[in-house]
Amino acid sequence: MSSSTLVIASRIINQLIRDRRTIILIAVVPLVIASLVGVSVPDKSILDYTAPAILAVLILFFGFLLTGISFLRERSQGTLERLMASPVSRLDIVGGYLLGFLLFAVLQTMVLFFYLIYVLNVNYYGDLWQILVFQVLIGIGAVCMGTFFSVLAKNEFQMVQFIPMIIVPQMFLCGLLWPVSQMPEYLQWLANVLPMTYGVEGIRALMMQGQNLLDIGKDVGVLAAYAVGLLILTAVTMRRGAG
Amino acid sequence: MPESSSGPAVEVNKLSFAYGRQKVLDELSLEVPGGISFGLLGPNGAGKTTLIRLLVGLLRARAGTILTLGRKPSPKIAHLIGYMPQLPSLYAELSVIQNVEFFARIYRLRDRKQRAQRVEAVIRLVDLWEHRNKSVTNLSGGMKQRASLACAIVHNPPLLFLDEPTVGLDPELRVTFWKYFSALTRQGATLVISSHTMDDAAHCDRLAFMRDGRVIALGSPDELRQATGQEEATLEDAFLYFIKHGGVNKNVQ
Repeated sequence: MSSSTLVIASRIINQLIRDRRTIILIAVVPLVIASLVGVSVPDKSILDYTAPAILAVLILFFGFLLTGISFLRERSQGTLERLMASPVSRLDIVGGYLLGFLLFAVLQTMVLFFYLIYVLNVNYYGDLWQILVFQVLIGIGAVCMGTFFSVLAKNEFQMVQFIPMIIVPQMFLCGLLWPVSQMPEYLQWLANVLPMTYGVEGIRALMMQGQNLLDIGKDVGVLAAYAVGLLILTAVTMRRGAG
Repeated sequence: MPESSSGPAVEVNKLSFAYGRQKVLDELSLEVPGGISFGLLGPNGAGKTTLIRLLVGLLRARAGTILTLGRKPSPKIAHLIGYMPQLPSLYAELSVIQNVEFFARIYRLRDRKQRAQRVEAVIRLVDLWEHRNKSVTNLSGGMKQRASLACAIVHNPPLLFLDEPTVGLDPELRVTFWKYFSALTRQGATLVISSHTMDDAAHCDRLAFMRDGRVIALGSPDELRQATGQEEATLEDAFLYFIKHGGVNKNVQ
């Protein structure tokens, strides 16, 4: 990791810390959504089944949204162009974004996780650290996805349109509401190429069945492959984005 | 001032560029000697911004060659180049000092003490020290331009590209900016400044009049004025004269 990556990451952290309203929203909004789900489910066992998926899906959603909009602003306000004319590499820029936003994804995960466990009384059996590591992996995927799609968008309006296009289908097909195995075969096929399906499958195995990261190696591998692939794609396509 | 080559600061030879089918630069050639302020003058759409973006390596030429400080534009020489884009291009949530500090670190001013001194020096140069802790959001347009200039010069580059740096500034601030630019050239820096106003043109040591992606005349402001044959010709008259009479790459020297 180069020093430029760390410089960019620390700048992103500084920016978010100075934007207090965003920090409050990052912490509070997932809790509001989790509470709505928590009080609306008729049966506690349904909440135990849904909660791990909520944890995974909300990190994906907020990671994608925050990174996507921030990266887009970097382009629209001209600072990305300035960075591209400096000695930093494209990988430094994407890596900096990854590190900077990951910190917030981890914090968001912890706040949401403890809220689910101690306030909504969700049962879990796995190791906390393994759950966190897996969530970080989902967070990395979300950040990579956000940066990649922001390169494709020309303005904030287009970026927001990517949410119903990229995130919402994954929320419906990942097994958040009903098991993937009960969907029509062609939807199962589609679900199996989407990264969130592996995120939800993995986090459920960790939290509900007490499995470890080695047991869910396939889920870890698919998410890691997605993250690396998107990272490379973002770095490759970024010059166009700055133009 | 960091290392630089002894030849021309910028050499452009038969450079062509197009956005899709729209030709923006057409076999453009020019040379910028070191240590001067060089103005790229022309109306909107003349190709000034595209040329600057090619010179700093943000775009790749379709045809022709570019040498900045004797080398092809690339990240390897980016630390020798300062770039101020048309937009202020600052992080709105951060303060002035945080923005300048960030670019100082990006341009690898690693020694903490030296970096702090340099950051303070450039913020003082652009008269923003009193406002250093203000968020960029709370700055006026002119202050943003000054902060943007501070970010572009914080690493003390020998070659600076300033894309319409005085646009939107009031006359008083415009004069102040030209004082900053003169101070930089006195220190040995080469400045390439794009503008579409003739007020700016008069301050430059040399000028390239641009139109439709071509250089229609090259020379000092006096040479360009004299070339019209009229005693009291302004640079505006000279520009119109070259539109009417000038050929491609006409060097009046």
